[in-house]
Amino acid sequence: MRNLFILLLVGMLLLPATAMAAPTLEDLQLKIEDLSNELDEMYDIVEKNETHTAKDRIEWYGDMRTKVDSVHYQDITWNPGVSVDLFQFRDDVFAGNILALDPSTGQPVAGTPLANFAATYPQHLMAFMQGVQNNTLPAVGAFSMLGLDLGESAGKGDLNNDILYTTRLRLGMKAEVWKNVNFSGRLSMYKNWGDSTGIKVFDSWDAFTMDGTNGGNTSGDWLRVERAYFDWKDIGGSDFYLSIGRRPSTYGPPSQFRENEMRGGTPSGHLVHFNFDGITAGYKLSKLTGIEGQTVRFCYGQGFESQYGNGELYNTNDFATKDTHLGGINFDILNDGTNFLQLTAFGAMDVVDGFKGEFAFPSQLMPLFAPTINQDAQNFPNMNFQVRYQPSTVIGDILLGGLGYVRQEENGVNYFASLAYTQLRPNGDAGLFGGMGSDNLYVATAIDTDGDGTEDQIMPMPTNKVADDSNQDGYGVYVGIQIPSPGGKVGLEYNYGSEYWAPFTQAQDDVIGSKLATRGHVGEAYYIFDINPNMFIKVGGLYYDYEYTGSGSPVGTPQKVDDVLDGTAVSLLPVADTAWDGYASLTVKF
Amino acid sequence: MKLYKLLAIALILAFVATSALAIEGGNSRKGKYLFKKSCKACHSEGAEGGNVTPLSKTMSQWDRMFKKAKHDPKAWEGLSEKDLLDINQFLYDHASDSDQPETCG
Repeated sequence: MRNLFILLLVGMLLLPATAMAAPTLEDLQLKIEDLSNELDEMYDIVEKNETHTAKDRIEWYGDMRTKVDSVHYQDITWNPGVSVDLFQFRDDVFAGNILALDPSTGQPVAGTPLANFAATYPQHLMAFMQGVQNNTLPAVGAFSMLGLDLGESAGKGDLNNDILYTTRLRLGMKAEVWKNVNFSGRLSMYKNWGDSTGIKVFDSWDAFTMDGTNGGNTSGDWLRVERAYFDWKDIGGSDFYLSIGRRPSTYGPPSQFRENEMRGGTPSGHLVHFNFDGITAGYKLSKLTGIEGQTVRFCYGQGFESQYGNGELYNTNDFATKDTHLGGINFDILNDGTNFLQLTAFGAMDVVDGFKGEFAFPSQLMPLFAPTINQDAQNFPNMNFQVRYQPSTVIGDILLGGLGYVRQEENGVNYFASLAYTQLRPNGDAGLFGGMGSDNLYVATAIDTDGDGTEDQIMPMPTNKVADDSNQDGYGVYVGIQIPSPGGKVGLEYNYGSEYWAPFTQAQDDVIGSKLATRGHVGEAYYIFDINPNMFIKVGGLYYDYEYTGSGSPVGTPQKVDDVLDGTAVSLLPVADTAWDGYASLTVKF
Repeated sequence: MKLYKLLAIALILAFVATSALAIEGGNSRKGKYLFKKSCKACHSEGAEGGNVTPLSKTMSQWDRMFKKAKHDPKAWEGLSEKDLLDINQFLYDHASDSDQPETCG
C-alpha cells in the first residue's frame, strides 16, 4: 500500500512534465497532417456553400396576415336608374311629340304616351309640371329602372357580417443583377376564407377582379405578381436611375403607419394605391442640393391597352377606345428620417369607362339588362355567369396632385397630414356606366310597345353623351397620429373625400373598400401590440360615413346618399349610408 | 461526418446566439443623430475609417460588433453606454438584412 502511494506521487509529479514536454517533430508532422485533412474537408464544405450561394440568386422574405373583420352596414339601398334630359322632355311635350291633349277636357288623350306615363308616375309628372310653371325645372332628372315613382324609396336595410376571415400572404424577392442593378418583386395572395373562385358577384367596384386592384381585393388562392421591377442605379456614374416593370405603387406614405411597416411604395398612398405597369426615371437630388433623401422621380404607366386582347383581329372596330397613359412626378422634397415631405402630381390621359376585369353577373341586374337570359336563369337562382368586362368609350382625363407631410419624433410619436386634389375632365362621351363624373344622358322617347303602329309609352333612350361636361374638382384630406403605448402603439386616423374626389387608391385592402377613396368621412382607431420585431397583433375599428355615391370610381354623377335613400336620386350599384368594421389581425414577418 | 455534426451544432448555436443578440431598448432615431454626429466624420467616403452605413453589415454583425466592442476604444470615448446602445439600435434597425422601404430606386 505504501509502495503504491509513493508510485502515485511520483507519477503525479512526472505527469505535468511529460505533458508540457516539447512535442517531437513526429508529433508536429502528425498534427499538420490532421490540420491539412481538416482544411481539405472544410474547403469542400465552403465550396459547397459558395456554389449554393452562387446558385441561390433570389433572396426571399415575406409576411402573412390573418385578419378577422366584423362588418356592419347601415341603411343600404339600391335603386338603379338613369338620368333623363328634362329640357328635351319639356321641348318634346310642348312640340306635341309626346303630348296629345284632348281639346274638350284639356287632359292628355287616354292611351297616349304621356297619359300612360302620368298614370304610372304621377309624382314625376307633377314635379315636371311644377318645374315648368315655376321655371325651376332641373336640366336632368332621375328615373328609376325599378318602376318606382319620384320620391318612392326602394327600401333600405342593414347588413351584418359578424365574422369575415381573410389571409394575406406576401412573398418578397430581391436579387442582384449587377453591382448597380437590382431586381425586386412581390408575389401576393389575398383571400377570404372559404372562397377561391377568384371573382365576386358585382355589387361594388371592389367586387371586380382586375389588374390594378387584385392584390388588394380578395381574389382567391392565386399567388399573383403584385410587383416585379428592376432598378438600374448610378447610370454612367451619374445619380440617375431607371426602373421598369410592375411598380411599387401601393402602400405609399403616409399609409404605412397603419400597416405597421416601413414606407411600402413610392407615390403618395393618399392618391395612389393601385398596381401599375410602367417606368420611373429618378434622380437623387440630395447629392446636388445636400438635402437628405431628396429624390425626384418621373413616372409613366399604362392603365389600359385598347388594341390587344379585345378581339381586334375581327377588325370590326366595335369599340372607340384608346390606350390609357399616366404620367407625372413623385418628388420626395425632404426625407431625413424625422421629416418627410412629398409632392405627387400626375395625369391620366384618355381614361375609359372602367377597366378590363372579371365579375359574376348579378342576378339582380338580369331583368334590367338581360331579360331574355333572365327567363332561363329563373331555373338557376344560385348561379351567376362569369363576365369579362371591357370598357367601350374614352370618357376624358383625370388630373391628380397632393402634398403630404410626415413627422417622426425621437420619442416615437408619428403624425402626418396630406392634402390632395383631383380634377375630372370629361370629353363629353359616356359608356354603359356613364361618363367622366357624369351620368350617361337619356332622352325620353315615345315608342310603340304593343305593335299597333301608335306610340303608347315613354322610354328613356341613351345618348351616350354626358349630362354635364364641365370639369369637376374634388379634394381629400388625410391626417393621423401614432403614439407609443404599453406593448406597442396606438393610432388615430381620419380622412375625408369630397363629392368628386377620385383618387387611384382602390387597391387598399380594407374589406369594406378603400377608406381613402371614400366620398365622405372615415375615422379609424387601432392598437398595435408588438409581440416581437417580427410579429404583431392589431386591433381596431373603422367607421365610414358616406356622403356621395361612387366612391372609388370616376365614372358617373355622384349622388347624395340621402337622396338615393329617399328615392329622389338613383344609383346603379348599392349604396350604404354608414358602415363600420371592427377588426383584429395577427401578422408574422419572415 | 463528425465535422458535419459540428457544423450543424455550430449553426444551431449561431442561430440561438443571433436570437439572443437582437438589440433592444435603444432609441433608433437618437442613434441616427448620434451616428451622423459622432461616426460619419471618420466613416465617410475618403475619410480615415472608410464609408460605413447601416447597410454595411447585417443585424447580427452589428450586434456582435458592439457586444465585443470591435472598434478603436478611443473613438468611442465620448459616447456613453446609452449613446452606444442608441447607435447600435439604429444600425441594427437599418442593417442590410432589416426591413427596407419598398420603393423604387
